[in-house]
Amino acid sequence: MKRIISTVIKEWQVTRRDWGGIALLFAMPVLLIIIMALVQDAPFRDYRNVVHHALLINQDKGKVASLLVDGLNKNKAFILHDSLQGKVIEVDNAKQLVKQGKYPFAILMPSGLSAEIVNSANAIANGMAKKIGMPSHLPERELRTGHNIQLIFDPTAKPTFKLAVQNALEKFLSRIQSDIILDRIARLNASNQDSSSFDFDKHLHAVTIEELSLQAQDSKLKEMNSVQHNVPAWAIFGIFFLTVIISESLIQERSTGSWTRIKLIPGSIRDILIGKMIFFIVLGVLQFLAMLLVGVFVMPLFGLPSLQLSDAPLQLLVVLVCIATSATCTGILIGFFFNTTKQALPFAALIIVILSAIGGIWVPLEVLPSLLKTVSVLSPMRWSLEGVNQVLLRQSGWIGIVKPCIILVFGSLVSLLIAQQLERRRVH
Amino acid sequence: MLRVENLYKKFSGAETASINGLSFQFPNDKIIGLLGPNGAGKTTTLSIVSGLITEYRGDIFLMGENIREAKTGLVQQIGIVPQQIAMYATLSCEENLLYFGSLYNIPKEELRKRIETYLQEFGLFEHRKKQIRHFSGGMKRRANIIASLLHQPKLLILDEPTAGVDVQSRNMILEFLKKYHQLGNSIIYTSHILEEAETLCHEVLIIDAGKKIVQGEPSKLISEHEAQNLEHLFLKLTGIALRD
Repeated sequence: MKRIISTVIKEWQVTRRDWGGIALLFAMPVLLIIIMALVQDAPFRDYRNVVHHALLINQDKGKVASLLVDGLNKNKAFILHDSLQGKVIEVDNAKQLVKQGKYPFAILMPSGLSAEIVNSANAIANGMAKKIGMPSHLPERELRTGHNIQLIFDPTAKPTFKLAVQNALEKFLSRIQSDIILDRIARLNASNQDSSSFDFDKHLHAVTIEELSLQAQDSKLKEMNSVQHNVPAWAIFGIFFLTVIISESLIQERSTGSWTRIKLIPGSIRDILIGKMIFFIVLGVLQFLAMLLVGVFVMPLFGLPSLQLSDAPLQLLVVLVCIATSATCTGILIGFFFNTTKQALPFAALIIVILSAIGGIWVPLEVLPSLLKTVSVLSPMRWSLEGVNQVLLRQSGWIGIVKPCIILVFGSLVSLLIAQQLERRRVH
Repeated sequence: MLRVENLYKKFSGAETASINGLSFQFPNDKIIGLLGPNGAGKTTTLSIVSGLITEYRGDIFLMGENIREAKTGLVQQIGIVPQQIAMYATLSCEENLLYFGSLYNIPKEELRKRIETYLQEFGLFEHRKKQIRHFSGGMKRRANIIASLLHQPKLLILDEPTAGVDVQSRNMILEFLKKYHQLGNSIIYTSHILEEAETLCHEVLIIDAGKKIVQGEPSKLISEHEAQNLEHLFLKLTGIALRD
C-alpha cells in the first residue's frame, strides 16, 4: 500500500510541474467544448427555432397569397422580404441573390394562385354538396396548371433544410386550403343556423401530434441540445488525452532508466502500475467534472443553454471511473508498445481522434454510415459516451450503465495484458 | 558472495549470445571490477544478477542461494546503480530519494534520516530541493548512487558510476566506495577507466563476447601477463579492434 501511495504522490509531483500536460488536459477540452458546442448549436436546434431570412416574389396579390404570407410571417422561423431598398423583388433579382448565397431561399407565388385555390375549393364543395343531395351553386371552372408555388434554393442548401422549408410551406398551404373549403361548405349551407355556429376549425384539429417526454417529470432537461451532447462528448475526448500523458510518462521513465530502477527494487511492479493508474484515473475524473462545471456555468456566457446535470451523481462517478480507467490503460498500452515519444505521441493523438470519430464524439452515432457504426463497438469512446448518456439523458439507473462499464473495464484489462506481454518481450 | 555457473543469455532476434557459458565466483567483502569492452556482456550479466532479466540459462547463487528461488529478503541485500541517471528529472533530489526509498518500504522517519546523512556525505544537502535536471553531471551521478544506497545493501553493484563526471566528483565517489567496503559490504563495479579499476579493485574479472577471459588480483594479473598496467593487460587480452 505504501508503494502505491508513494507512486500516486510521485505522479502528482511530476504532473504538477508539467504545465504543457496540464494545459493539454484542462485548457484544451474547455476550448473544444466551447467551440464545438457553438459550432454544432444550429444543427442541434430544430429549424423552427432558427430564423431564416427569405425572399418573397408575390405575383399573385390575392387573398390566398396574403394569408400564406401572413402565416409565414407569424411563424418565427421565417422573415420574408418582398422588397429590398424600396424596390419590389423580381424573379431574376431573387435568383441572383439566392445564387450568391445572400438568402437561403426565395418563394415565388405565381399570378392566379389565389384564384386557382379558390376554384379548387369551390369544386370540392360543390362535389360534396352533390353527393349529399344539397344544391351546388358555387362558381367553378376547369383546373389550370402552372400555378404552383415555386421555391428557389441556395445551391449549397442541405436536403434536410430544403425538406424543412417545403414541409413548413405545405403545412400552411394545406391549412389555408382546408379553411377555404370549410368556408365554401359553410356558404352552401348558409340557411342552416346550427351549422353556421359549428366550429369547423376546432373539430378539424381535434387530433394533433405531440411529443411524449421520456424524461422524469421533474427532469429539467426537455430536449437534446448541442451543450448536452458536446460537453460530455468532448469531456470524454479530453479524458482520453490522458493516453498522451501516460504513454509519454512511461516512455520517459524507460528512457531515463527510472523504470529500470523501479524494477530493480524488490516488490511487484503491479504496485507501481496501480499507483500510476489511481493517479490518472482521479485526474481524469476531476478533469471531467471540471468540464461539467464549464457546461453549467460557462456555456450560458456564450448564449448557449446550461448543461443539465444528472440526479444520480454516484452512477455518473462509476461511469467516469470506468472511462478514466479505459483511457489510462490505453495510455499504458501505447507507452509499452512504442520505444520513443516521437513514435508514441503522434500515434496517441491520432488514435484518439480516430476513436472519437467512430465513437460518436464528433457527430452522434446515428448519422454514421453502417460500416462505421459496426466498427464503433471497438472504440472505448463509444461506450464512454453511451455510459454518460445513460446517466445524463436516459436516466436509466444502475442497469443502464452495467453494459458500457463492463465493456470499458474488459477493454482495459485486455490492454494491460497486452502491455504486460510487450514489456516481457522488450526485456528478453 | 556471488557464484555464476555456466550462464547463457541470447536476446530474441539477436544473432549471437550476449553471455555464452560464463562462470565465475566473487569472494565476500571485496571490491570487484567487472571489465570488458563494449558489448562484452557486462550490463547483461549485471541485469541477470540483479533480477532484471529473468529468462536465462545457468545458475546464479547469491549468498549461497539460487536467485531464481530468492525471496525478497535476499534481493533487498543488493543495491544497483544503473549506468543511466535513473531519476525523475523534474523532481527534486529529495523527492526522488523519498520516492525510491519508500518503494523499499523503509519507515518514513528512518528514510528521512538516511537521506539526510547520504546527502551530507555526497555534498548534495544544500541542493536537495533542486530539480535533478538542474544538477551538473557529477551531482546527478552522486544522487544516482544515493538512490541505490537507501536500503543499505550488503552488495552494491555499480554500472560505470564515474562515467562523464569531473575529477572531484569521481574522487568523491571512489572514496565513498572504499569507505562503504570498509563497513563490511561487497562492491561490484564496471568501468572503462581501467586506471581507476586498478587502484580501487581487489580483484577484476575481464570478460569478452560473453565469456570469461581472466580473473584475479590486478597486480598479479599484470605481472603474470607481463603487462605494464591494467589497461595494457586489457588490450592484450581483448585486442585493439574497435567494438560497436
